[in-house]
Amino acid sequence: MADTYNSDSEPTTRTLLRRVLDTADTRTPRRRRSARIGVQKARLEMPLSSPTKMNVSRRSQRARSIDRLARVQTSGHLDEQTPRTLLKNILLTAPESSIMMPEPVVKPVPTPQVVQSSRRKSSQGSLELQLPELEPPTTLALGLLAPGRRKQRLRLSAFQQGVDQGLPLSQEPHGNANASSLTSSLNLTFATPLQPQSVQRPGLARRPPTRRAVDVGAFLQDLRDTSLVSPGDSLRTPVATLPTDTVLEDTQPFSQPLVGRSPSVYHSLPCLSHTEAEDAERAVSHRTQSSGPKLQNYNPGKQAQLLARKAKNVDAIAMSFPNKSSAISGEDGVDLLQDGIDEEAEERMEENLSVSEVMDTTGTQGSVRTENSKGYREMTEAVETNEPKGSSEDEDISDRRASPELASNTTQSPQARRPQFLEPAPPSSTAVLSSEPLSTRLPPRARAPGSRPRQDPHKTGLSHYVKFFSFCAKMPMEKKAVEMVEKCLDRYFQHLCDDLEAFAAHAGRKTVRPEDLELLMRRQGLVNDQVSLRVLVERHLPLEYRQLLIPCAFSGNSVFPAQ
Amino acid sequence: MAVSGVLSQRTHVRRKAPRTFLRRLFRRQKPRLRLETGGDLLVHLNCLLFVHRLAEESRMNAFENKDGVIKKEHVLAAAKVILKKSRG
Repeated sequence: MADTYNSDSEPTTRTLLRRVLDTADTRTPRRRRSARIGVQKARLEMPLSSPTKMNVSRRSQRARSIDRLARVQTSGHLDEQTPRTLLKNILLTAPESSIMMPEPVVKPVPTPQVVQSSRRKSSQGSLELQLPELEPPTTLALGLLAPGRRKQRLRLSAFQQGVDQGLPLSQEPHGNANASSLTSSLNLTFATPLQPQSVQRPGLARRPPTRRAVDVGAFLQDLRDTSLVSPGDSLRTPVATLPTDTVLEDTQPFSQPLVGRSPSVYHSLPCLSHTEAEDAERAVSHRTQSSGPKLQNYNPGKQAQLLARKAKNVDAIAMSFPNKSSAISGEDGVDLLQDGIDEEAEERMEENLSVSEVMDTTGTQGSVRTENSKGYREMTEAVETNEPKGSSEDEDISDRRASPELASNTTQSPQARRPQFLEPAPPSSTAVLSSEPLSTRLPPRARAPGSRPRQDPHKTGLSHYVKFFSFCAKMPMEKKAVEMVEKCLDRYFQHLCDDLEAFAAHAGRKTVRPEDLELLMRRQGLVNDQVSLRVLVERHLPLEYRQLLIPCAFSGNSVFPAQ
Repeated sequence: MAVSGVLSQRTHVRRKAPRTFLRRLFRRQKPRLRLETGGDLLVHLNCLLFVHRLAEESRMNAFENKDGVIKKEHVLAAAKVILKKSRG
């Protein structure tokens, strides 16, 4: 190891220094700083070149220490503090590792004369040493030996001066920085150079954008302002001040009107669910009663109060169609409507029968369904359809009524039906009607304001699809056609829910999963072996939903959504 | 997990699905049943396809009657056919 240091094969600073020392002439400094060094002078004078190797080997073997330095000094390298001797000192004592390390070790060896002489030397060294690279090493070595505080202060001030003035070499710390970059033996390399850059060019320093804070503050202020303006609309203001494009979950187009009405809506719902089970048996009789007045009055006030809670459903729906029904009744279209709807009524009845046999719960739910579907029927035929519907609930009673009317429905022509509807209807209804003249009028008034919110959000929710319909049709549409589309959508949703329920029950589940949906679409004929579900998803849904539905691989060996 | 919760705050979904509306509908119809997260998007897809087919059919009906406007009877006839198709 010692040999490698001695050999000049690698042009390290040490080797260069060594060369210089060996070749350069000795000079005697005029000043003497310490007695100790003066004592050592005589001894050191003579063996100048010879012990170098020995000292180097010694140094390389042992760790850096003060004793080492003292021994070195005593051994006799210092000759009145010539640059040579000082350099030798430095070389012997300075370790080959980083600059920072030996500082604490070297501190207790204050050699002010070394510092001062070093200044001299730096100027002299530049003259002596021909190789420009050696200057930094001198300053580097000197920096090591100098006392800590002073050196640091010097360093800082010198550093700043150097940075400001852009001096390349003169100052120590700057030289240190350069030296650190130059000397491969030193570990400390890039710590210091980074600082000067930032200090030199403050414009490059990145500032965190303060945009966000301002936005939030302005947003809160707006909130407060609006809340101050309208204290009563505390619920609305956040909705109003929300940017329209923020939250996807807020897809309700009718979020605002719901604020005041939602409680009433929710009240009506639990009432319905509770009474469904109770009034299952009474359904038929009530329905017939309700259907009777329906015929006569063409009013919302036709519903029986006994059916009050249950008939809320029908009420709400029937109320919304009073104008329609009265207007339509005169049209020929009614015949077609009746025709079409009667056929479907039969189908529904059959479905109801079959479904109710299979499942228990549909008993109560079927009543809701039938109520819903009933509401969409026209007034005139409501009687006939109701009674066949009622058969699903209570087959004993209504079957008798249903079968003759069913037969009448199927056999008669559409044109002849209407008068026949009216004929059987009044006789059955008059008997019932007389029993409830008052009850029919009161409840609808109480229910009128309550049922409106229930339909409006429903309609506004459906309007999304109605708009889509009008977009797909690419033709102008009548308003009645639009309403017809709404009805179709409602019926379609019912079908959909039933089917999904059937599929989930078939799989023994209580949760409807995407597999059920896929099966449904397969049965509908939308999904083939040629066309898969994913293809449809990609065609018709926007990107955000596609990403939620179709699993995609992402970085980090993750798939979203997880399968 | 990458791109989790895909829908960040600022995304503008052009054709939003009325997810809450659909979930409420389903809950009203079938209070016992549950619908999964991705399920209601597929329901929305199903509705879109249904409406699309309905619109096509009613348009064809109107064309056949040489009407420039879609009328109720066109829609009704189309609904009959398409509802039967989508029974599953």
